Amino acid sequence: MNTRFNRRGALARLGGILAGVLALPIARTARAAVQRVFVSSGAARGYDPSKHKWLMCIDVNKCIGCGLCVEACKKENGVPEGPYFRTWIERYIIPKPKPGSGQTRGETLVDCPNGGMHGFPEPPLPRDQIEHSFFVPKLCNLCEHSPCVQVCPVGATFDAPDGAVLIDPNYCIGCGFCIQACPYGCRFLSPVTKTAEKCTLCYHRITRGLKPACAEICPTQARIFGDLLNPVPDDPIQKFYEQNRVQVLKPHLGTAPRVLYAGLDKEVR
Amino acid sequence: MRRFQMPPQILRLVLLTLAIVGSYMVARAFLTPATFGQYGWYRGAALEELAARTPVYAGKKACDECHSDILHKLAGDAHKTLSCEACHGVSRTHAENPDVLPVKLTGSHCIRCHEANPSRPAWFKQIVVKDHYSGKCTECHIPHQPTQSP
Amino acid sequence: MTSEVTNIVVEVLPRFEGYVYPNEATAHPLWGFLIVLYPYITGLVAGAFIMASLVRVFKVKALEPVYRLSLLTALAFLLCATLPLLFHLGHPERCYEIMMTPHLTSPMAIFGFVYAWYLMAVLLLELWFDYRQDLVEWSKTTAGFKGIIYRIFTVGVTDVSPPALALDVKMGRILSVVGIPSAFLLHGYVGFIFGSIKANPWWGNAIMPIIFILSAIVSGIALCVFNYMVLTWIRRHTVEMRCLDTMAMFLFYALLVDAAVEGLDWIHRIYAAEEGFSVMQTMIREKLFYTLNLGQATIGTLVPFLLLGSLQVLRRRVPEIARRRMIFASAAMILIGVLAMRWNVVIGGQLFSKSLRGVMGYKMEFAGVEGWFMGILLLGLPFVILTVLVKLFLSERLPTSGHTPHGSSTT
Repeated sequence: MNTRFNRRGALARLGGILAGVLALPIARTARAAVQRVFVSSGAARGYDPSKHKWLMCIDVNKCIGCGLCVEACKKENGVPEGPYFRTWIERYIIPKPKPGSGQTRGETLVDCPNGGMHGFPEPPLPRDQIEHSFFVPKLCNLCEHSPCVQVCPVGATFDAPDGAVLIDPNYCIGCGFCIQACPYGCRFLSPVTKTAEKCTLCYHRITRGLKPACAEICPTQARIFGDLLNPVPDDPIQKFYEQNRVQVLKPHLGTAPRVLYAGLDKEVR
Repeated sequence: MRRFQMPPQILRLVLLTLAIVGSYMVARAFLTPATFGQYGWYRGAALEELAARTPVYAGKKACDECHSDILHKLAGDAHKTLSCEACHGVSRTHAENPDVLPVKLTGSHCIRCHEANPSRPAWFKQIVVKDHYSGKCTECHIPHQPTQSP
Repeated sequence: MTSEVTNIVVEVLPRFEGYVYPNEATAHPLWGFLIVLYPYITGLVAGAFIMASLVRVFKVKALEPVYRLSLLTALAFLLCATLPLLFHLGHPERCYEIMMTPHLTSPMAIFGFVYAWYLMAVLLLELWFDYRQDLVEWSKTTAGFKGIIYRIFTVGVTDVSPPALALDVKMGRILSVVGIPSAFLLHGYVGFIFGSIKANPWWGNAIMPIIFILSAIVSGIALCVFNYMVLTWIRRHTVEMRCLDTMAMFLFYALLVDAAVEGLDWIHRIYAAEEGFSVMQTMIREKLFYTLNLGQATIGTLVPFLLLGSLQVLRRRVPEIARRRMIFASAAMILIGVLAMRWNVVIGGQLFSKSLRGVMGYKMEFAGVEGWFMGILLLGLPFVILTVLVKLFLSERLPTSGHTPHGSSTT
């Protein structure tokens, strides 16, 4: 090994130091340029998600199956035409049992014509053969242990700090894993954006102090919306969970859904 | 003591590995979005982007600015749980520019909610339209104060 | 009664029966034939590699003739493995995200790393250490384009002295040992993707990754049998019966274990008869009847089991030509049967509603990304790549080094 001082070696070393010093700012500029092209940046401003905890609850005893909520959601969020629903209404018709059968009820019929968007037609059974019948609005259940968030491979869907479960449409790769993982069927792959889509609690409305479109439009207030961290006087959501014994959908799966239902029946899945 | 000599295959492979891992780290630094990880394993900017969408429905509170007298009547009667846009349609443009009129209300709109259906709860006022009346609903009912007659 | 109550008023889609959630009422299932192909291909890769490791790790000398062919098979199929996934994504141009921001709670997130690890650190490395001596030799004696390829693959290392060669053998053995759990991870994580979905009772259980790995081993051995016999036939050589009989033996026992564990899954489902059981029964009876009973059970399991089992009992009493035909037929049937099994798992899980009240049908189209044509192309492409690999690395015209432990190639 040549340890003698030589000009070439010194120049090489000096060049190396210069390159090292300049490398970081050059790299930063290049990184910023690449990021401008590839990825969007920008911090959230104004609204502080950690200061809110949104929740929607459903009172099945109040739903009249008019479908105005389904229509409002489609309009508010530009949901594509066809079998794509961020929220929908199911009708349950539980017939009376056959006489002498020793049963408490007949076989349940469930239907959901076009998500319930235009209301419901006449039931297939006459009134005197029906034991129970009711409407169940469905939406994202705002799970505490969301299986959809757990399985997203890239971090495109997430639990926001304010309780909403959201999808980043600019990051989603459209693999469909979250859609398969949701036990409640509330997600779909948009044929327009080719990304996963679901109820966002009308995030663009609630961050401005408005209610989600479905809760706004519901004529009987079957959908009760509120902020658990900022209750209003006579808060309807506080009254709902204090006065009703409530249920959740599919509790055995351990998803800990936060959306509370009052007035469900054992037939509802 | 014999000097350790790295076998040529291993040396080549170690260099290759370093090159591959190194280029991965560089790529990751460039291609990870700036706000990723701000609140959790996602782009923090997504929250703002989702919140930036323009609302379509105006909301009941917007109507109160000009129509507080109607809203006062509404609050004292059976339709107090209704939002204006449930019957009058999307009224955002009207709320911003009163010269643009909202969707006109027609009689058939009432049937959407009030047509009798066994699945509807018993407390809800329902009528079998063909047995009830064949004319316009507003001949006997005031929409904003439904328990009173015109 | 249920048929009168329609789910969708706007379009009456005949493929639905009972009640399905509105978001499930799409024209096709979300995960189609491309997602059936992906576990099939990675399963073949894992299985072929396990076959090769039987030579290195378990020192089954009889299988020496198919060692290199098994590794090349694994490589050819692994190179195609990402294609079905890329074509399926809604945004394939964002595919890099899975390696830049992998969400570590998602089994799918490890895909990029496991794939890269298996391709580079296991398969290519093991092939390199095995072929290194030959590559150095071939790079010196072959002219033209092929010569350049061999030179590139030597990675500039030309040392073929005895200590270097001894190191090659040692590294090859280490990699084979490391390769076995890597192969299990490569294919097992796919099984876990399905096994982790608790929302779907057809998929979400602990035995799913195990069934995937076991059927992968079966399909991989079957593919090696198939490739070995086809290659020998193309080259007009005679099959080495000791090798073939040993492969058939391993194929039989792998099939036996796989059938037993799948049978256990069946028995448990029927015995426990949990909530979704009746809708799954309806789905099997009406939508999976042929692919399950005919494809997976009869063609894929029962007939090969009887053929290969009889060979285990009768052994040399069966004349050679009959043995060859029975083994070839069994391998081909198993390959079809395992594809049917992947179909039954992936598509079957989407043919009943999460409401547990309805079933859907699925008719594949010919054209389109998820159609038959694309499927056939993607299944054929690995064989095209394998042909190129065989021409480059298993050529009869190139001499292989005599003193390497693996002896002669499949020629």
